[in-house]
Amino acid sequence: MNFKGTLPPLILEALAQEPSHGYRIAQRIKERSEGVLDFKEGTLYPALHKLEKEGHVESFEDVERGRPRRYYRITKSGRGALAKDRMEWRELSRAVTSILGEV
Amino acid sequence: MTILETWLKQATRHLSRDSTAQVRREIQEHYESAFEAGIAGGASAEEADRLAVIALGHAKNANRQYRKILLTSAEARMLREGNFEARAVCSRPWLRWLFLVMPIAAVFVDSAAVARALLAGGIAMGVLFAAPLLPVYTPSRGRIFRGAKWIVLVATIGLAFGADALKWSWLLSSCLWLVVWIVWIEWTRVSIRRKLPVADWPKQLYL
Repeated sequence: MNFKGTLPPLILEALAQEPSHGYRIAQRIKERSEGVLDFKEGTLYPALHKLEKEGHVESFEDVERGRPRRYYRITKSGRGALAKDRMEWRELSRAVTSILGEV
Repeated sequence: MTILETWLKQATRHLSRDSTAQVRREIQEHYESAFEAGIAGGASAEEADRLAVIALGHAKNANRQYRKILLTSAEARMLREGNFEARAVCSRPWLRWLFLVMPIAAVFVDSAAVARALLAGGIAMGVLFAAPLLPVYTPSRGRIFRGAKWIVLVATIGLAFGADALKWSWLLSSCLWLVVWIVWIEWTRVSIRRKLPVADWPKQLYL
């Protein structure tokens, strides 16, 4: 399942736990949604670049198992954006549930 | 050519050299992690390679998204080559003198229509050349200047042709390619402004 527009907040949520690189972010989202949210991993990086440009995440170089890798961490503005997204999602979810009914 | 190389070639189509290098690096890193995870999960090297590339999705979709966020080769070239108005005039000294002489000549010519056209040309060029001397190098001031620039340029066409605009419509329509070219340049600049952080804007992007 792939809901358009949900990737940026999911990335921010994954980074709110700890700084991470692209592959680990993708795996964390898939694991936490128990495989329901499946997105193409090639689209993760354009979303990360957009978040970086907006100042919600920042990147830095680190080494993993002897290999240099680009890591991302959430910024203060990113935490603010995540809190806003979370609130909007709760409202939307409540509204849709009230129409479709509880499962 | 490996499957990954084919994917990368499609995903980086029309991207600038720097953007291509960036995409290649991050996707290569991602692929290596996915490949190792596949091997650790018991897949053969061939299967792990195939699964890692499939997980990336369609290269064309990725390319579409990368082009929205990273500089394309045309945009990078425009940034390298600078402001086309300044380039066109600075590389031709006779053109610079012509534009300077035009409004002065307007005072001395007998024909009102020719004087009007010369004056309009002078005003239009004045707007373009005054820009570097004006304090327009903040995003909001730049936006105001660009709006004023286009209003003045369109108004000067009206002033130059005046009531005879319909009579001269053949001339205007024959310059349609020029209009398309200018619109394309402006559109490319808008796209660059969206992609580059304000701190990295060269002066030409404010104009």
